Amino acid sequence: MLAIITTNLLRRSARTMFTALGIAVGVATIVALLSFTQGLKNTAAGFVHLGGSELGVFQANVSEPTASVLPEAIVARLDARPEVARATPLLLIVEGVKSDASAIVFGADPAGFFTHNLVLTGGRPPSTAAREVLVGDRMAAQQHLLPGSQVVIEGRRYRVAGIYHSGVLFEDSGAVLALAQAQRLANRPAEVTDVVVQLAAGARASTAAKHIERALPGTQVITDPQQALRVGADSTLISKAILVIVVIALIVGAISVANTMAMSIVERQGEIGLLSTVGWSPVRVASLIFGEGVAVSVLGAAAGLLLGVIGGGLLVGALGVSSYVSPSITAWGLGRGLLVGVAIGVLGGIYPAWRVTRMTPLRALSST
Amino acid sequence: MISRAGAEVSVEGVSKSFGRVSSLREVSLDVAAGEAVAITGRSGSGKSTLLALIGGLEQPDTGRVKIDGRAVWTEPRPARARRELVGFVFQRHLLLGTLSARANVEVALIGAGLRHGERRRRALSLLEEVGLADRADHLPSELSGGESQRVAVARALANEPRLLLADEPTGALDSQTSERVLDLLFRLRDSLDMTLVVVSYDPSVGARADRTLTLIDGRIQAAPVALSCG
Repeated sequence: MLAIITTNLLRRSARTMFTALGIAVGVATIVALLSFTQGLKNTAAGFVHLGGSELGVFQANVSEPTASVLPEAIVARLDARPEVARATPLLLIVEGVKSDASAIVFGADPAGFFTHNLVLTGGRPPSTAAREVLVGDRMAAQQHLLPGSQVVIEGRRYRVAGIYHSGVLFEDSGAVLALAQAQRLANRPAEVTDVVVQLAAGARASTAAKHIERALPGTQVITDPQQALRVGADSTLISKAILVIVVIALIVGAISVANTMAMSIVERQGEIGLLSTVGWSPVRVASLIFGEGVAVSVLGAAAGLLLGVIGGGLLVGALGVSSYVSPSITAWGLGRGLLVGVAIGVLGGIYPAWRVTRMTPLRALSST
Repeated sequence: MISRAGAEVSVEGVSKSFGRVSSLREVSLDVAAGEAVAITGRSGSGKSTLLALIGGLEQPDTGRVKIDGRAVWTEPRPARARRELVGFVFQRHLLLGTLSARANVEVALIGAGLRHGERRRRALSLLEEVGLADRADHLPSELSGGESQRVAVARALANEPRLLLADEPTGALDSQTSERVLDLLFRLRDSLDMTLVVVSYDPSVGARADRTLTLIDGRIQAAPVALSCG
């Protein structure tokens, strides 16, 4: 049976190739989008654990974590809480770097743990008195910056005092300014985007989050990356859009396979009739047709996985978010792509196979 | 090859219509075990339909068809019953173009529960029987019309049928090749003691058969009548 399936697919190599290609594009889209969302999750994980923090305090009900606005005074109240070991404010400036719109500028307290946790790989700490900035090693490499170079943030020139590495993609793709300078630059005096917190020994993140939210109404505490993604309306939208795309890919792919196989049945009625006359049961003949649909889908899915891995990188580049999102291919992401590909074959093969079971041998032979 | 006794065929009051076209009308026919029967008739007279109904390829509207007492179409597994009882040869050989002659014969053995090695051995034996052992690995495109039809005969014999049904087996062949194919069919019928029913315009088929029946407008005539081909 497998040999016949193989030869039948090879006999119609152009049709097999184009059908497989259609499925491959669908699967590749899914794999690329899944790798992109996994990258987003990784980014969110970095966002939650900025500077080695265990949780982040944001304004409640914002469309996106970066849109959060908190009064700076909240830092002292957080610092005073028993479950908090240290709290430090951050002001995020998005699209502030002229030469790389995707780079994020972090306004951070020079005395806070966020700044202290940065490992300088070149230069020195910036002077708070001068217009100086630290840049991440990834940003420095991309823009060929060295200590002493100039970088333009929100239209103002800053001297690169040093280069750091933190291990978090979008921290290393961005820059760090003293909080006071960042507030002046963004015209947001005494305001911060969020406060990152390191917990006291023995404190549990989930319990601490509940206590903080209760004590500070209007705040939302994010402790895990999934939560960060859920808070962001854009991320939610992306997740839903991906689900819709998966469903559409499944439907379009299944229709494509069903159409191809149905056409194949019309062309091969004589062959089907012959197989019936030599004693193949309708189920066996249907299995042949069904098997061909599944085989072409598996072929397409395999090609789609490869294209998807390449497409993930291209998607991030096309969206201009390569500074803070790195596509992440996981076994489960590839598995889901493969599952969708196989599902396309199974769904697309059902109708043609059913049609074969309804065909009497004489009717099939009459078409020859 | 194992020789088995031919099957008895009983057709009782069979009618078949396709839409508004009546193909067979109250046809009754008995074929004895091992008998060779030729069925002639003009185009559209219902010959092929009768053969298909005998072989269980279609269900009659009324009446009954039995092979050795078994009504193929109403059996729980008609395909299996067909495989066990009947072999078919058609006007066109209907070989699968991408498979070798041997593989085309083997196709008929899939489902018979044989291992690949046994299928291969039996297919080669059958090709030897029809004089094509040296062409076993050739594709249909590499075979002549007569050779292809002989492969089709080998395929029809693959499951050791007790009834061989041939529908215009020489219709697409020249006269010399037709003779060779008919020689083969009737020789095999004799050596394997099968029942043979052949639909054909060819008068030489009638001459070789034990009995000739003529169908006119879906009915069997009592005695053969002269036919003009076309």
